[in-house]
Amino acid sequence: MEKSGSVDSLGSKRSSSRQPSVDSLSRDHSELKMICFQQAIRDSDKEELQLLPNETVQDMAQDVTYFCPFTGALRGTVTVTNYRLFFKSMDRDSTFMLDLPLGVVSRVERIGNASSRDVSYGLVCKDVRNLRFAHKQMEDTLRKSIFEVLMKFAFPVSNGLQIFAFEYGQVFPENGWKVYDALSEYKRQGIPNESWRITKVNDHYELCDTYPSTLAVPVNIPDEELKRVAAFRAKGRIPVLSWIHPESQATVTRCSQPMVGVNGKRSKEDEKYLQAIMDANAQSHKLFIFDARPSVNAAANKMKGGGYESEDAYQNAELVFLDIHNIHVMRESLRKLKEVVYPNIEDSHWLSNLESTHWLEHIKLILAGALRIADKVESGKTSVVVHCSDGWDRTAQLTSLSMLMLDGYYRTIRGFEVLLEKEWLSFGHRFQLRIGHGDKNHTDADRSPVFIQFIDCVWQLTRQFPAAFEFNEYFLVTILDHLYSCLFGTFLCNSEQQRLKEEIPKRTVSLWSYINSQLEDFTNPLYVNYSNHVLFPAVSLRHLELWVGYYIRWNPRMRPQEPIHQRYKELLAKRAELQKRVDELQREVANRSASSASERPGSPTRSITPVQTFV
Amino acid sequence: MFPAKVTKPTFKCYLPPAQTDVKNTVEKPLKKLEAKLLSGEIVVNEVNFVRKCISTENNQEGLWGKLICTNFKVSFIPQDTSPKQKSTLSHLLLGEHDIPLTCLEQVVTVNDTKGKKKVLGSNQKLKFNPTELILYCKDLRVIRFCFEEAGPESARKVCLAIAHYSHPADLQLLFGFEYQGRRYHESKEERVNGSTPRGLQTPIFDRSSDWDREIKRTNASEWRVCSINQSYAVSSSLPEHIVVPSSLTDQDLMQYASSFTDHRIPMWCWSHSNGSALVRMASLTDPLQQKKTEQKIFAAITKSHPQRNEPFRSDLDKSLPSILDIQSAFVKLRQICILDPFEESEERWLSTIENSRWLEYVRAFLKHSAEMVYHLEGGNSSVILQEEEDRDLNCVVSALMQLMLDPRYRSLIGFQSLVQKEWVMAGHRFLDRCNHLKKNDKEESPLFLLFLDCVWQIMNQYPAAFEFTETYLTVLSDSMWIPLFSTFLFSSSKQRAQHLMDFAKHKAIPQGEDQVVYFPPVWEWSQQFSTKDQTLFNNPMYVGKGAACVQNGEVKTFKRKQKAYSSTLRGTPTNLRNGVKGGEESLTRRSSLANELKSELTPVKDLSPSERFFKDWFSRPADLQGLLIPLLMPSHMAFWKLFFLRWVPEACISKGGPVTTYHKLSQLVDEIEILQSQLRQYKGTSPGNTPLTSSGGNPTDQRRMYFQASSPDDPSTPPECLTSSFPFTPTGNLSRRTVQGTPISKFLNGARIWLSTETLANDTV
Repeated sequence: MEKSGSVDSLGSKRSSSRQPSVDSLSRDHSELKMICFQQAIRDSDKEELQLLPNETVQDMAQDVTYFCPFTGALRGTVTVTNYRLFFKSMDRDSTFMLDLPLGVVSRVERIGNASSRDVSYGLVCKDVRNLRFAHKQMEDTLRKSIFEVLMKFAFPVSNGLQIFAFEYGQVFPENGWKVYDALSEYKRQGIPNESWRITKVNDHYELCDTYPSTLAVPVNIPDEELKRVAAFRAKGRIPVLSWIHPESQATVTRCSQPMVGVNGKRSKEDEKYLQAIMDANAQSHKLFIFDARPSVNAAANKMKGGGYESEDAYQNAELVFLDIHNIHVMRESLRKLKEVVYPNIEDSHWLSNLESTHWLEHIKLILAGALRIADKVESGKTSVVVHCSDGWDRTAQLTSLSMLMLDGYYRTIRGFEVLLEKEWLSFGHRFQLRIGHGDKNHTDADRSPVFIQFIDCVWQLTRQFPAAFEFNEYFLVTILDHLYSCLFGTFLCNSEQQRLKEEIPKRTVSLWSYINSQLEDFTNPLYVNYSNHVLFPAVSLRHLELWVGYYIRWNPRMRPQEPIHQRYKELLAKRAELQKRVDELQREVANRSASSASERPGSPTRSITPVQTFV
Repeated sequence: MFPAKVTKPTFKCYLPPAQTDVKNTVEKPLKKLEAKLLSGEIVVNEVNFVRKCISTENNQEGLWGKLICTNFKVSFIPQDTSPKQKSTLSHLLLGEHDIPLTCLEQVVTVNDTKGKKKVLGSNQKLKFNPTELILYCKDLRVIRFCFEEAGPESARKVCLAIAHYSHPADLQLLFGFEYQGRRYHESKEERVNGSTPRGLQTPIFDRSSDWDREIKRTNASEWRVCSINQSYAVSSSLPEHIVVPSSLTDQDLMQYASSFTDHRIPMWCWSHSNGSALVRMASLTDPLQQKKTEQKIFAAITKSHPQRNEPFRSDLDKSLPSILDIQSAFVKLRQICILDPFEESEERWLSTIENSRWLEYVRAFLKHSAEMVYHLEGGNSSVILQEEEDRDLNCVVSALMQLMLDPRYRSLIGFQSLVQKEWVMAGHRFLDRCNHLKKNDKEESPLFLLFLDCVWQIMNQYPAAFEFTETYLTVLSDSMWIPLFSTFLFSSSKQRAQHLMDFAKHKAIPQGEDQVVYFPPVWEWSQQFSTKDQTLFNNPMYVGKGAACVQNGEVKTFKRKQKAYSSTLRGTPTNLRNGVKGGEESLTRRSSLANELKSELTPVKDLSPSERFFKDWFSRPADLQGLLIPLLMPSHMAFWKLFFLRWVPEACISKGGPVTTYHKLSQLVDEIEILQSQLRQYKGTSPGNTPLTSSGGNPTDQRRMYFQASSPDDPSTPPECLTSSFPFTPTGNLSRRTVQGTPISKFLNGARIWLSTETLANDTV
């Protein structure tokens, strides 16, 4: 597909859906597409590999066997490009295709003994699946296996190559890099106001290199003092404003742990600073500090110079531990979950196996923490400070989820994009390290599914409040797929500073460019924009569910239920059609009665009023 | 619940500290509190100044009022009638705080100060004055009354009366017999003017014409109605009319009958368009005759098959859990859903649900039914369901099969006729299984509820396939505990006929009057709910005849996405299955990819014909007006939250839950229906004709949807009534006693789990 052609065709969804969206990740398994109704059945001409702009074929191999865990072995052709692996088999009555962005691959390994006539390769993927291929031993021993080629392009960073996002040259009508502007988001919240100001102290990332350049801080703390506060907070991540309640002025602020250490160090400036945060909210004479960690972990951090606020030092502050475990526990939990759900679900002990992964229990703790924050701010009209150790993993989960509960704006598609840009990207969630884009070091202890967990929590909220979100499940799945795909620049790098240095907005395409150019695919038809709806989810395992549409989507037996959204859209179309017919008839009758008004004064049309048609 | 053995000191610790607060004392009632009584209902005993607990915790919060025991219900009349929440279901015969006596599972009295408690039965003595009464209800409510301000003697009397009257000595003492007798005479005049209740569209299958119609509808030409059981001459548990193979004469059948348990001649249930029939059958009792009779019956069924295919027989006793298993699963599930302290049960929620085995049984029944459907549809052979008595498991499986096979039964009337045919008329022992007389606990088993849960599972997977909603299923299950309708009171149609004959005689009801008239079945929903409330039964998404989506007379079906995989490939050649041999176990997980991939190396099994049938079916778009097969992996089985959690306040999502979707869909369908009626109006207006203003004037009267078209004045927050419990309310309906001190700290601190030193050390990374 050439670049220019697709720009013109963006108006029509049919062709824009050929864009490298999630469905190309999963052409072999249709369940993912359930949400993407328009793409129901592909034309046969689409069964060929469609290269993206600047995507080039690197190698091709015939007679490769793919061991599908669901349907058995398939023989076909493998193509490896600088972006993807494409497998196509005509073995069966219908064509089978597998289309996998290489960014999804976490690990490639040759399996089996050298004496065998077949060479077998296993691919472990970041999106909860594994793939296995085999082909005949090369007769020409000098020729590399296609999977050796794949390894090179799957881990460009480790091989001195460029991540494909820097080459991908697609142009979209909307520029997703313009979605978020810190100043206008603060302005939307009413900042600056009499209590909060925007500071330029971090303009050159000198105060904190993992924070954004634009920060909102209490009005009466001068920049000089901010620097002294920064010295007391891990990595200089001082408490700054994330969200302010439009009525009560209660705030959600975020930071890293205080550097208390074993000796219980104190900082006058830090104490004064938190007092200022409390004072900025006239409604309450209390401040809640939510430490996301289990108290034992928080205490253990003192050994390394960190720790938590003592209530002696911070008067009027109450410290609460939220018991959320660290990135290592979460990584282990997801690994166990993968074992339970992929490739097949055992016939017995499904629920206890699921329980043993603790995945839902972690989800519960995160949501429970966010709910407590939202409740304190909304019902208690009290300001809260949220931190964990560094304030870029659990803290990001908590602030963004509580903001999602508190502020309906973040539940719109654009609002959600702003939320991610703000709380996750600009505040330095270390995507590069947590995901390991293009890096072959799959055992890196810095990798962790923190962001996946967050999206899972959002999905749980959409399940409990089906009409409260403008976006649908497909939107969330798409975000997670492109978290790994390395097609867009959105999730590259670890901080705003790095992104600026790498000129990410100039050199790559934003995921939001793609999404915002075909919004209809991502829209929840049931959405009602209730302006004053604060979500208080039921944070109980009785209501939390495994996100089957994401974690078990590769299993063809896990077909989702018949989509309610589709039915709703059909009914909307039907209503529009009926309304049109009624309007026509009404006009007709009106014309007729106007011409015969003198004869019949009691016009029948009066009893018929059109139905309200807004949704 | 309470520990089995209660010694004085241990019981004490379950109790709250004695509340000596005086500020909660009640003011004297200013108005007289009167029970709302039905015709024939009398007050047995009552006590004033009672507090009904309305929250879970042991606090003083509550409603003050009068507790009344009548011959029908336990009634509580609050002093301050708080305006009832709009948009929750209100029952026409029962107040918000009423519990029918038949709905009581257990009556427990407690004396807090003495640390005593007693489960009360019929005609019992109570040696202490109760300070508290806890009613455990069959619809899963737990209601608590406190007597701290009430007269001790009257409180005791009311408790004893409730216990006594909830254990009726005889079926005829159930209030329905009193009530319906009076109602019959009181409403005589209305009936003369109005339509006959046979206008009630649900076939009852008590007459041969109902069966005849069913034979015609399914084109079962080789089957006939047989009436040898008229006056229950042959079998006491079969209906008077049954359907049998045409090739068997009445004489043959008379002869064969004696070989079956309770002389139950095998009976036809349904026929597929391919000619295969579904037949249910009891086991054979006569070992000598057994082989011969069986051969003859099978031969006749074969003969009734257009291709003369041999029938397939399935012995359900051997393949499915017993009624005792089901009862014990339900007891465990009830325990964790409503009795165990909420937070305590959170931690091990999933495994406890699994250990109850309820979902496993639900899945087993669905799975077996689906397999039988395969034999009928895919195997093109008639299916014979066999069970010892043919009155329990057969009811579940035959009804589920027909629900999957025949879209007619997914309509409201169709579903009711299915229950009537496969449960009520087939002789499911509702009286024993519900244990209405509390005579034999061993016979009690929630088989019908299990069936409703299975229906809910299919509904959950195909939300547009059913005309009715989960609210309907829930309300239907609740109706089992209201003894005013003939449906769930009897164990066979013979028993029903006898009791109703006696009843008619006693109540001076003229001979020849239809029993549907004088003792209506539950299907006459207008007895219980207003027309408006009955619209909660309507599923706005329904794709079926008469539904909003039928366009130009053609029923639309949902297209499932084309599957790219197909089913032709069998197994993996062994030579490709190399890669993992012994030895990997010693490698650590992290370093061995082979180990991680191990599970994928197991070859894909050969598919059995039924597996292939299902696979093919799932690879095609589902036709909601055709065969419907539920997905049956363990992960497809969902927990029926509305039914099991509706009373649990902690589990209630406010301004959310599935009802928000229902709300939106209903509004939209209502708008569509208004437009349709407008169109009809215009169409009736041929040039020169005045449209009928009267028909368009009152669209509100017959609107099919509970939630009506939105208006610009809709509030900026979702309606308060929308909760995950809708249309029920948990307030005051679940007041279990918890271990003293709420485990709130635990909730807030989360679970104590998996803290290894490694993870601790890593936390600072």
